[in-house]
Amino acid sequence: MTNLLEVKNLRTYFETDDGVVKAVDGISFDLKRGQTLGIVGESGSGKSVTNLSIIRLIPEPPGKIVSGEVVFNGNDLLLQSNEAIRKIRGRRIAMIFQDPMTSLNPFMKISKQLMEMTQLHLGHTKTQARAHAIRMLETVGIPDAHARADSYPHEFSGGMRQRVMIAMALSCEPELLIADEPTTALDVTIQAQILELIKKLKRETGTSVILITHDLGVVAGMTDHVIVMYAGKIFEQAPTNELFAKPGNPYTKGLLRSVPDPTAEQGKLYQIPGLPPDVAHLKPGCPFAPRCDRVEEICKQEFPPFVQLNADHHSLCHFAREVYSESGGTPA
Amino acid sequence: MSALISIKDLKVHFDLGGGGPLDRLFNPKSVKRVVKAVDGVSLDIEERETLGLVGESGCGKSTLGRAILRLTEPTDGHVFYRDRDLAHLSQKQLREQRRHLQIIFQDPYASLNPRMTIGQIVGEPLETFRLARGREAEQRVQELLETVGLSKRFIKRYPHEFSGGQRQRIGIARALAVDPDFIVADEPISALDVSIQAQIMNLMERLRRERNLTYLFVSHDLRAIRHVSDRVAVMYLGKLVEIAGAKAIYDNPLMPYTKALMSAVPVPNPRVEATRRRLVLEGDVPSPINPPSGCRFHTRCPWAIAECRLTEPQLQEIQPHHWAACIRISPEQPYIEQASSGSQ
Repeated sequence: MTNLLEVKNLRTYFETDDGVVKAVDGISFDLKRGQTLGIVGESGSGKSVTNLSIIRLIPEPPGKIVSGEVVFNGNDLLLQSNEAIRKIRGRRIAMIFQDPMTSLNPFMKISKQLMEMTQLHLGHTKTQARAHAIRMLETVGIPDAHARADSYPHEFSGGMRQRVMIAMALSCEPELLIADEPTTALDVTIQAQILELIKKLKRETGTSVILITHDLGVVAGMTDHVIVMYAGKIFEQAPTNELFAKPGNPYTKGLLRSVPDPTAEQGKLYQIPGLPPDVAHLKPGCPFAPRCDRVEEICKQEFPPFVQLNADHHSLCHFAREVYSESGGTPA
Repeated sequence: MSALISIKDLKVHFDLGGGGPLDRLFNPKSVKRVVKAVDGVSLDIEERETLGLVGESGCGKSTLGRAILRLTEPTDGHVFYRDRDLAHLSQKQLREQRRHLQIIFQDPYASLNPRMTIGQIVGEPLETFRLARGREAEQRVQELLETVGLSKRFIKRYPHEFSGGQRQRIGIARALAVDPDFIVADEPISALDVSIQAQIMNLMERLRRERNLTYLFVSHDLRAIRHVSDRVAVMYLGKLVEIAGAKAIYDNPLMPYTKALMSAVPVPNPRVEATRRRLVLEGDVPSPINPPSGCRFHTRCPWAIAECRLTEPQLQEIQPHHWAACIRISPEQPYIEQASSGSQ
């Protein structure tokens, strides 16, 4: 399988009154065609900034992509002109955000907003675009799409609006779909509907997906690979089954143990002590050291290495091999 | 065990207007619109238990929690606490009782006065109820901060200097200041990061053991509910539809809505997720204004029959300590999958 997307050594910094915030600080990963990659992290870990950097939507100033490459289909997006990027955004890379209400124009009919996409990117005539828009609304399960296409966003519920966003995102058959917390604002039965829909559409169209979320349950059910971010760094990356079964990083391990599993016995939850770090004032050494239960002197002094544990399993930790072995893995 | 709080046929209706003589003058079709947020709920909360109350947005779970403390006035019904009916006390009598009944809110940003120091916030209930003053009050506040895992050095700081998890700890300290029996925790972890959620759940669990507290834990997060609760009550459009032990309600849900709810929970285990079959519901939760007739869930229920549109199901004990409201199941026939006649 070939790589659709290769992110290399990406750094995105923000100038603030409080100093330079290194929101994303030297991350690299690949996404193969047809695969789903999950990016997990807590607030401030840099997961959303990574996504915004890929599609060049970082507000500049105060933000700036300081270095790196985002190679999409062989072309570095960071070197493209703004005009060229606009042709890719929405057409070949599409996005869904957490809150569909702020991503839809409240004064414009749903049909019109969908039609704009294909009129602009695919050169559809008005008639073609309208037919396509209604077909897309049917695909995402809007009942009575013909009649409801001319509604305004406020007439739809949260789940329906998220369906409209998905219809819009997929209307030009993009090669990559970036979904940033697509179900966080939704109720659990509606979340199940939307996740099933994304899975189904992915099977049918072969679109690659980057799914950004804080919910480890969603990651477990939806993704092939996972990246765990903390303080702007990738702390661990691995195939999903491997990461859940044999985590090689104390942060991942702690995170997995702190989420209650309703199918298991309910013992006392493990808790990671302390708070996520302030990325504007990181100390030397490992950013997780103050919260880590196996911290040693070296962790406070030196930044940890990115250790390869297996063919496609990496962990940012001085003791990655030991943690991995304790989880039952055999370091290569 | 005995019930600490006993709720009898509690109703909270919000009148949205319409249907009056003046309304009909301008619009002959105008009808009275009422949101029945809580519509006849009876529930016992046992001493020292954590009762989890779950449901989706708009089901009335927060309104029920607030109505118990009369932060929202009930329209009808009773809330018995130690032989007093809270729903019918005068404001003065109610204020005395509030000492024993506290609440923790979802949004730790909105529920703390930004112009008060942490010491003032946690100490205010002590003054209000004349429990302590001066040096003694200060000492109590310091102890409370330490109890919830905050340094007593924070006493002169302001809420904006704290993270979400720390603010939730401050909210808990304030609730504990009056040494209550009963705490309504309204989505106490929903606004927090994953690693902080575990901290707050463990803290609440420890405090319950140490101080013999009783909790009503209101949340839409079914994994958290499963973890913290002894028993769980499920709400749908203003009604309770199922009550059972936390393990039973997750492993063996009986009422169809509960089944769908439990099967929708994402499990943090890829192997379980890969083999799971989900019961995915069609459509959205109907509006609580003029909700569906009969069983309110019939519009989305895959097992609904014509009868469900007409008959309002009552909670009945289908299995020992396991109550569900569905006309298609009974103690003799507890599993709806086997009640096939008339279903699709």
